[in-house]
Amino acid sequence: MLPWLSIILATLAVGTVATFAAGARARWVALATSAIFLAEVGLLLASYPGWPGYSGSLVPGFSDTETYSWISIAWMHVDYAVGVDGISLVFILLTAVLQIATVVYSWGESQRPGAYFGLVTLTCLGCFGVFVSLDILLFFLFWEAVLVPMFFLIGYWGGPNRRYAALKFFVYTHVASIVMLVGLLALVFYSGATSFDFSSVYAAARGLAPVVQTFLFLALFFGFAVKFPIVPFHTWLPDAHVEAPTGGSVLLAGLLLKLGGYGLIRWAVEVLPSGLHSVQPLLFVIAFLTIIWGSVLSLAQRDLKRLVAYSSINHMGIVLLAIALDSSLGLLAAVLLMFAHGIVSALLFMASGSVHHQYGTRDIASLGGITPSAPALSTMLMAGSLASLGLPALIGFPAEFSAFLATWNGLGYWVLIPLVVLVVTAAFYLWMMQRVLFGAKKGVPADAHDLPWYESTGMGLLVALTVLFGILPSLLVNVIVNSPIKGWPGT
Amino acid sequence: MIVGFAGTRLERLEWGGWIAVLLSGAAMVVGVLIAIGEMLSPGTYTNVQFTWLHLPPAPGAFPNGLSLVMGTLVDPLSSLMLVVVTVVGFLVMLYSIGYMHHDHGLPRYYAELSLFLASMTGLVLANNLLEFFLFWELVGVCSYFLIGFYYEKPSAASAAKEAFLVTRVGDVLFLLGIFLFFSTYALAGPAGSGGWAANGFVFVVGSTSTPFLASAMGGHTLLLTIAGLLILGGAAGKSAQFPLHVWLPDAMEGPTTVSALIHAATMVAAGVYLLAITSVFIGFTPADQLAIVAIGGFTTFFAATMAVVHPDIKRVIAYSTISQLGYMVLAIGAGFAMVGLYHLFTHAFFKALLFLAAGSVIHAIGTQDLFKMGGLRKRMRVTAAAFAVGGLALAGIPPFAGFWSKDDILSSVYSQLGTHPDYWPFFLLAFAAVFLTAYYIFRAWFLAFSGDHPRDPTLPEAHEGPWVMQVPLVVLSAFAVVAGLFVFVPGFQSLLLGGAGVAGIPPTYGLTDLGLSAISVGLGLGGIGLAWGLWGNGRVFVLAETSALQPVRRLLLNRYYFKDAYDWIGLRAVYSFARAADFFDRFVIDGTVRGLERMFAAASDRLRSAQTGVVSDYAAYVVAGLLSLFVLLLIVGPYLLARFGGG
Repeated sequence: MLPWLSIILATLAVGTVATFAAGARARWVALATSAIFLAEVGLLLASYPGWPGYSGSLVPGFSDTETYSWISIAWMHVDYAVGVDGISLVFILLTAVLQIATVVYSWGESQRPGAYFGLVTLTCLGCFGVFVSLDILLFFLFWEAVLVPMFFLIGYWGGPNRRYAALKFFVYTHVASIVMLVGLLALVFYSGATSFDFSSVYAAARGLAPVVQTFLFLALFFGFAVKFPIVPFHTWLPDAHVEAPTGGSVLLAGLLLKLGGYGLIRWAVEVLPSGLHSVQPLLFVIAFLTIIWGSVLSLAQRDLKRLVAYSSINHMGIVLLAIALDSSLGLLAAVLLMFAHGIVSALLFMASGSVHHQYGTRDIASLGGITPSAPALSTMLMAGSLASLGLPALIGFPAEFSAFLATWNGLGYWVLIPLVVLVVTAAFYLWMMQRVLFGAKKGVPADAHDLPWYESTGMGLLVALTVLFGILPSLLVNVIVNSPIKGWPGT
Repeated sequence: MIVGFAGTRLERLEWGGWIAVLLSGAAMVVGVLIAIGEMLSPGTYTNVQFTWLHLPPAPGAFPNGLSLVMGTLVDPLSSLMLVVVTVVGFLVMLYSIGYMHHDHGLPRYYAELSLFLASMTGLVLANNLLEFFLFWELVGVCSYFLIGFYYEKPSAASAAKEAFLVTRVGDVLFLLGIFLFFSTYALAGPAGSGGWAANGFVFVVGSTSTPFLASAMGGHTLLLTIAGLLILGGAAGKSAQFPLHVWLPDAMEGPTTVSALIHAATMVAAGVYLLAITSVFIGFTPADQLAIVAIGGFTTFFAATMAVVHPDIKRVIAYSTISQLGYMVLAIGAGFAMVGLYHLFTHAFFKALLFLAAGSVIHAIGTQDLFKMGGLRKRMRVTAAAFAVGGLALAGIPPFAGFWSKDDILSSVYSQLGTHPDYWPFFLLAFAAVFLTAYYIFRAWFLAFSGDHPRDPTLPEAHEGPWVMQVPLVVLSAFAVVAGLFVFVPGFQSLLLGGAGVAGIPPTYGLTDLGLSAISVGLGLGGIGLAWGLWGNGRVFVLAETSALQPVRRLLLNRYYFKDAYDWIGLRAVYSFARAADFFDRFVIDGTVRGLERMFAAASDRLRSAQTGVVSDYAAYVVAGLLSLFVLLLIVGPYLLARFGGG
């Protein structure tokens, strides 16, 4: 058995260094890196239970695990411990897909391409590390490692107000990280775990008193939730997106928000079940608030990117709701939703970015009727919007459907809140399309042209996946359910 | 089966439209063959399915997980619908070749229309409510695309959005209704059935004589009633029933072919079809039935009144569609699902005919305003005759199609009045609507076709369309004449009896109550007569400014102010709230953050004095920090543990 995860990490690490060093040819190196990465993830998936073609029996649990002792001082044992289960695999797939899509989309980036593509690769390396780490300190290391490249992506390649946005992003997420670190350390110390390894922490945490679990859960929740983001800690997100370059926005919405959700599931929900149980009502309130706030605010936005950013908040609210339900179906829905949102929001941010490139503005009010001059761009924006509002046969539908089913199952008529918000979500997307794509021409220069080939290829890849997983969601679902969480079949 | 999917390929070539026509023709042949097979061996249920998605368990409802399936179910109801969808679909495709000839974006048009036909076929054949919902949304989005086909026109883009949003409201209700029905089944289903998991969302095949919840309603009548009302809400959105009717007249912004296919014959009938399958397979409670009868009966009359005054030929027909859908809803509510579907069947042909005839007029003279037309029968004999046939069928004059089905609805409902006296007002409304129907459709005919010459002399010389437009008109005219008589063909009748037994009442077809039929035909003739008197032979009836009816006319022209009210809610109320929330977000939530930031900046100015640059000082800070962390973790924590942990 090859150490796949280390091989992938090594690929990304070498790729990052080579990209930084490659200067003007960085995009080719980045493309090669992401292509190899994607191929390796494909191999990893092909050998995983639940993926079509896998012939072995279903063995729930972490697979491809590797553990090497890293730091060992007195009672403190820190390992290099990695492994994947169904949930992390889905996020890894998302990382690989978004990396290659971002690299292709950004093909025309001419401002210090070496650094730009290097930082993109580094961000994906960090995300990959977070998704495979099974040791608390290793996890935290990668977690923090993601912040730095994103800070520079926003701060250097961003819009006019980039310094403010980058700093705000960094301070928010860093403060949250510190609270999270305290929570994670306390988790180890109180539980009396013998190492920082997931399995020992998981086993030891069973013995914690409910009230301790509650406090620990709250600390971890705060740390992860700012990344989500939840209301009222969300205002960094629209600012960061508006200022970030398109590639940065894509990774921010597609991957960085998912770190929060993944961390919450892996290190809080799985490890501290009683903690989740006692704060459930609070989580429901926050989730409903986030869902409503995100979608109502989207309706009021005039900047395309801000609109997509607030709709992200709305979708992540549904994710939080699904996680808080504490059922297998809810967790499945949450993971599926995050994957769907990762693809769809990336698509929408790319489309908004292209609108900005072509027409010099993202202001909805000063655009209109762009479809005749840019049919491909309009199609992409429309596909993203329809997927985001939950159209069947696109990826959002199976995810939202399972989330609503789980909510109905767990909370009964409260499901009306996300369902009614669904109408508002449809409203702001349709209204945006009506104003930007249709009607009389406005803000369209005479020499307006459609997408360059690389932008349409990057988005086309995402549209194809949206349709593929929309029609065959079982591809993902069967992988996700093979995870070592209480309540999955077979555990 | 889903032949039409192949048609969604990009058709860039000149003859691309013909590919779509041929494929839909193939679909029509398959569809008609299926229906004939069903007629020859009545009451067969052919179900094919596979597991689409297996969801993990959730506490309570489905302990072993939930299998969601996709499949096709061929039964009397679906084969009847299949004929409607594929035949009208093919004829409209053919007509489009001529009608859309001058437009841009034809590949998009044929691809979207093909996707629509494929989705509609999927909807008709779906064997479970989830799959039904999936295709239901897909036909909705096709309708959105096609209404907005002329997207450069702001009114078209706005109408498309309106249609999507209004039906979306219905969809939300529908989805909740699905959840409710099936969790009720989990509660009340037969012991050992495994609740949701065992039956997924699949209709119980082959047992339509006993709607599957009827047997086990037990103490869950309230839940079932709510579920039924939610389904009604979904159907009302799609089939434009009061109060979700506003989108359909505006949907006339789309090409006339689209109006004929989607907004007259097929998609808008999907709501009616939903009610029919729900009543056949699941069952409605008596309270639901009354609600359905009330919505249907009221809409029938309500929509007909608006058609009476409208100057736009397409919108008159659109209001007429809403009104006719009301009849079908009424019949299903009273327990006669198959009678409702029978009317759906005949209506699809004569309403598509009316739209295509209107399209022929619009194609020839380029206006939809009835008051500019006139005298067209001289130059457009085929169209004038076709529109007249459609009008007679709509008005319910024997032997045209509409007479038979509408008459069956009225007599069926009439037969229930004894046991359900609360149906009376809605029956009377529906009955009165017969008169209005005959009047408004012949007002349109007289305005457009009678007289000597157009009222607006600037209109171009009218001419008939090419053969591809005339053939569908002729074929549909033939259907509009004879479709009602199909019911006397034994095989066809067995198709219509397939879903019998709903509420235990076998439907009857043909003349059952001569007196009732005579009154309704009399009303119809009266309506035509009034139209002749006011508008015939080029006459224009002008309502005096001082007439007491003027306020009524204005109310009708303004559509009872429903659209204004909805616009106000959408634009003023919700959007203003959103702007206010945005303000709050920027200045209160984010403002707090920026306030904190300034506070910290000020504090750090003072703390700067601590930055001595001496390494030992920093070491001291680090130690102090670590110490406080340890105090927190090792002293405060165990204290809390000892204090609360035991409890």
